[in-house]
Amino acid sequence: MKRRSFLPIFLTFPAAGFCASSTSAAEARLRTAIGEVLAVADRVTSRSALATTARSILQRHVSFETMTRRAVGVGWRQFNAAQQKRATELFTTLVIRTYSDKFTPGEHPVINYKNAVAPAAGRVDVPTTLVYKGSNYAVTYRMEEIGGWKIADVIIEGVSLVANYRTQLDSTFKQGGAAAVIRSLEQSVARPS
Amino acid sequence: MKKPASLILTALLISSCATQHATPAPEGQSAAATDALDDYEGAAEVSDPIEPLNRATFAFNDKLYSWVFTPISKTYTTVLPSPFRQGIDNVYENVKFPVRFVNSGLQGNFKRAGQELQKFGVNTFAGFGGLIKQSDRIPSLKDVPLEDSGQTLATWGMGHGPYIVLPILGPCTARETLGLVGDYALNPVNWTFALGDHADKWAWIPSTGNTVRSLPDQLSKYNDSKANAIDPYTAVKSTYIQNRNNAAKE
Repeated sequence: MKRRSFLPIFLTFPAAGFCASSTSAAEARLRTAIGEVLAVADRVTSRSALATTARSILQRHVSFETMTRRAVGVGWRQFNAAQQKRATELFTTLVIRTYSDKFTPGEHPVINYKNAVAPAAGRVDVPTTLVYKGSNYAVTYRMEEIGGWKIADVIIEGVSLVANYRTQLDSTFKQGGAAAVIRSLEQSVARPS
Repeated sequence: MKKPASLILTALLISSCATQHATPAPEGQSAAATDALDDYEGAAEVSDPIEPLNRATFAFNDKLYSWVFTPISKTYTTVLPSPFRQGIDNVYENVKFPVRFVNSGLQGNFKRAGQELQKFGVNTFAGFGGLIKQSDRIPSLKDVPLEDSGQTLATWGMGHGPYIVLPILGPCTARETLGLVGDYALNPVNWTFALGDHADKWAWIPSTGNTVRSLPDQLSKYNDSKANAIDPYTAVKSTYIQNRNNAAKE
């Protein structure tokens, strides 16, 4: 059985107000983002149309630069500015396509928000349950303060999108550097999904 | 407060990204991290000493799934409407109750074992033998995490061991392979085949039915994990390890 101590509660008490406001601000931003995407999803009739229309919305609410940097890993420091820009563009396309591929016109997901937590300063995790086409999914949105709260990762059933690409792109970088990472991203984007 | 420090670190990292030269990681930050909040290094790590063999088995399985299992799955979903398939899934999941009940107990989580017992009772008696999942209407029974033997071994402190791609079954690790044996033994669906007379012409039906009914969901998960991948083998491995690590934590 876990021992309970009141000391951590006492010590963290002054921070509680800050945490509550940051979690609610992050959750509010997430709800706005999801609301805007669902409004588009209700209007469009195909996956490709969703990918195109939702791109500008997602670019406002998702930090694709952060996602790409972390997906590449430590090798990112050796990319020049043009390579970083190109990798981010390609990764953005890949991520948007990954999620729009799961979309079926006419199907509307039901999202239940659970209590958000702040595991570190500048980061809030918002767990949700999503019911889509009769199936339940546990989806956690990792929000970070990057010039305002933005989505920095999506974790579905414990599987992080960023961690998943990190295992792939990090080894690609180690084998062939920035050029190999960009080439492999270009190949994935060019490949029909 | 840590927040300004993390923002300064992040700003320093972003500005350093503009250079082409390798830059050492800031003090107090892992050398493998790209910024102060980057905690992804090693998130899906597992040893893969037989990678060439695993990749060959992965390629074999991939063709098997495309050429054999997908047509079977499509036939099944075409022939049986969704509500019927849902009912069949519910029955099989209800029968699988000993897997979840025993493993909850073996993990010392007796509250969860009790919830599993309640779910089984409610679904069997109020849900027509498990056909309707009545337990979803009861808030305390709706989201009970599903326990299995692999999770029990993880709770007992056993690491994954080497990653193994099993023929037909797909991604696994040494620990999860042991777990599969435990789950197979605890699942009553397999008892007629494992304990009965193999000459019995009906013995294969429950376990084969279980395989066929689970194909659509399994194939969908497999296809999702390799869709838009840079390297499908690594993507599936990462998805599997992250998913199992998460299940063990719940």
